[in-house]
Amino acid sequence: MNLKLPWHSKSAEPYTLRDLPRRVLLSEYFVLYLTIVYVILLLPFIPWLLNPMNIKNILSNAWPLLALAMGQTFVLIVIGVPDLSQTSIMALTSVVGAVVMSNYFDPVLFSKSPLWGSLIAENGGIFAGTSLATLGGVVVMLSVGLLIGLFNGISVALFKMPPFMVTLVGWNLWAAIATFLPKSENIRHLPEGFVAIGSGNIGPISIAMLVALLLAVSGHFVLSKTLFGKRVYATGLNPKAAKVCGIPTKRIIIAVYMVSGLCAAVGSILYSARLEMGRPTMGSTLLLDIIGANIIAGISLYGGKGKVSWTFFGVFFFIILANSLNHLNLPFYMIDIVKGSIICLAAVLDVVRTRASERRVYT
Amino acid sequence: MKRLCFVFIIVLLAVPFALMANGQSEDAQTKIAFCFQDLETEFWVAGHKAITETLREAGVKVIEKNANEDANRQLEQVKDVITQGVDGVIIIPQDGESAVTISKVCNEAGVPIGVFNRPPSDKSADSVVVVANNEVIAESAVEHMAQEAKKLGRKVTPAIMVGDLGDPNAVGRRKGFYNVIEKYPELWTQDPIEIPTKWDANVALANLQSAIQANPDIDFLFTSSDFLFPVIKSVLAPLGKWQKTGHEDHVLLGGLDGDKTACELLHQGYLDATGVQDVFAEAEMILDALMKAIENGNETPNEWLYDEGFALTQANLEERDMDMWGCILRAEE
Repeated sequence: MNLKLPWHSKSAEPYTLRDLPRRVLLSEYFVLYLTIVYVILLLPFIPWLLNPMNIKNILSNAWPLLALAMGQTFVLIVIGVPDLSQTSIMALTSVVGAVVMSNYFDPVLFSKSPLWGSLIAENGGIFAGTSLATLGGVVVMLSVGLLIGLFNGISVALFKMPPFMVTLVGWNLWAAIATFLPKSENIRHLPEGFVAIGSGNIGPISIAMLVALLLAVSGHFVLSKTLFGKRVYATGLNPKAAKVCGIPTKRIIIAVYMVSGLCAAVGSILYSARLEMGRPTMGSTLLLDIIGANIIAGISLYGGKGKVSWTFFGVFFFIILANSLNHLNLPFYMIDIVKGSIICLAAVLDVVRTRASERRVYT
Repeated sequence: MKRLCFVFIIVLLAVPFALMANGQSEDAQTKIAFCFQDLETEFWVAGHKAITETLREAGVKVIEKNANEDANRQLEQVKDVITQGVDGVIIIPQDGESAVTISKVCNEAGVPIGVFNRPPSDKSADSVVVVANNEVIAESAVEHMAQEAKKLGRKVTPAIMVGDLGDPNAVGRRKGFYNVIEKYPELWTQDPIEIPTKWDANVALANLQSAIQANPDIDFLFTSSDFLFPVIKSVLAPLGKWQKTGHEDHVLLGGLDGDKTACELLHQGYLDATGVQDVFAEAEMILDALMKAIENGNETPNEWLYDEGFALTQANLEERDMDMWGCILRAEE
């Protein structure tokens, strides 16, 4: 299959200065240009923006969000409707992972948990103190993420349930279970190996960076170089046509939800490790950041359009924006107003870019 | 349309600069970041006011950050202010666990940190911690309630609205309550009914309604925080149990914090006792300790300071009400 997508088309027209705004606007590096301009504009006001410590902060904040946003990218390309359950998948995987690998549970806090005496006890979870603790915890977290993704995918693809409702219900359901299992308590005393994922380095490179980049490169490869990736775009652009062409659209839908669940679990691993605890409220305020980063990146809310590299740029713009607003010492509501306005503008821009690129292809 | 979009982008990019033009002069002034989880109760609002005003009066530049109840956001905010070169950090953490993580970050960066009123869940990181002696204060308030219960000449059914037990404040208050329960075993019809609140009014409302339906004879109720009194009133009033002291359907009522609502309820006669934290003294204690550490170049001060507090009751209301911060705020209004 040789699928030609509108934003892949290149115009043979010569460049003119008048065309520059349109070319910049339609460029797939638009968000990158925007980020560079933004940083240059800010530098005189926030001179420490590019100092090593702040860059380290920006990077450490970006990696978990990149993992989450990448999963959302897959779902948006195929469905066009965000996976709202991602943050509650984070919460549940954070709790379940901590349950199996924590080294100690305070009886005062946890004796009323439904897991007390079976999966957890004062001397920890089932993997506590073993060499398998970190690995076991990570595998359990990833498995739970995949299973919930499978559940979402089957509900949408096989039972034809509206994606918005499925993931909205999931958002509530998984978060409630995450709260119920530890009776709202945070779970600490995680193994050192697990905590190192959030704060450790291999040489000069942080483990979180390695994990997120590995995930992003894999995602980019899958979308751009494999048959599965082409089927993802085809299903997103026109599911009926894709089905007629013999593409197993149901399996594609299930697969992208599983990718989203897996990425949510990876994000949860990174956030849980940096906070050194399993939290039943993990990610409860992150949904707008995840979706916002995708919208800023230009991942279309109409489906069928998007790239992992765009998500990468979108995440970094979003994180740099949040970081700079923090440095400007604006009140939190002003930060949210600016962030919300920019996401809103990005959504409008998506419509404009889609129309402009369609005009360029078809005229 | 495209041009319009470009104009919008430029305007949006310019917004932060315009906002920043409100004036930030960089100088050698001491800078302290005050990072709080939210200001959802009167106690936190009063604490925020006391800390920021005292700092500004001392000529300190205050950088305020509201994490909006998100522990991860608070961690990121603390890292950001460290990058800005603050001399010290004061936090009201989301919970005791995140206080530990954030304190470790400050320790590694060599920035002194003070934790206000919600102590870390363990002492693995160095910090200046100012905390009320919750157990003793709660015990004083519940002791008064028990003495009032004795005067009824019958047994009473006790209940406690428990805070988030991940917060050592909630643990201490629960312990103070149980100290009195164990002291007078002959006074109770049954073991206390525990009503979880998670420091959340909605959770508290749902659980209190369930508890009252299951145990309609509850007549001895202690809330671990005064901010839940409106919730209690909304549940008891329709049942005819929101009555003043001395009324036969009065539910013996106690709390802890010492906020403005508690002051009003004490004066109106609905409330029997409340444990009082001295928010102004706590603010001064944390600022003194942190400023001392900054002046001495101590990057990792490690000190726990206690506010001993007291109980304001119907018995000592006239003499001591102006010792309670909530009554002072009420009088100011």
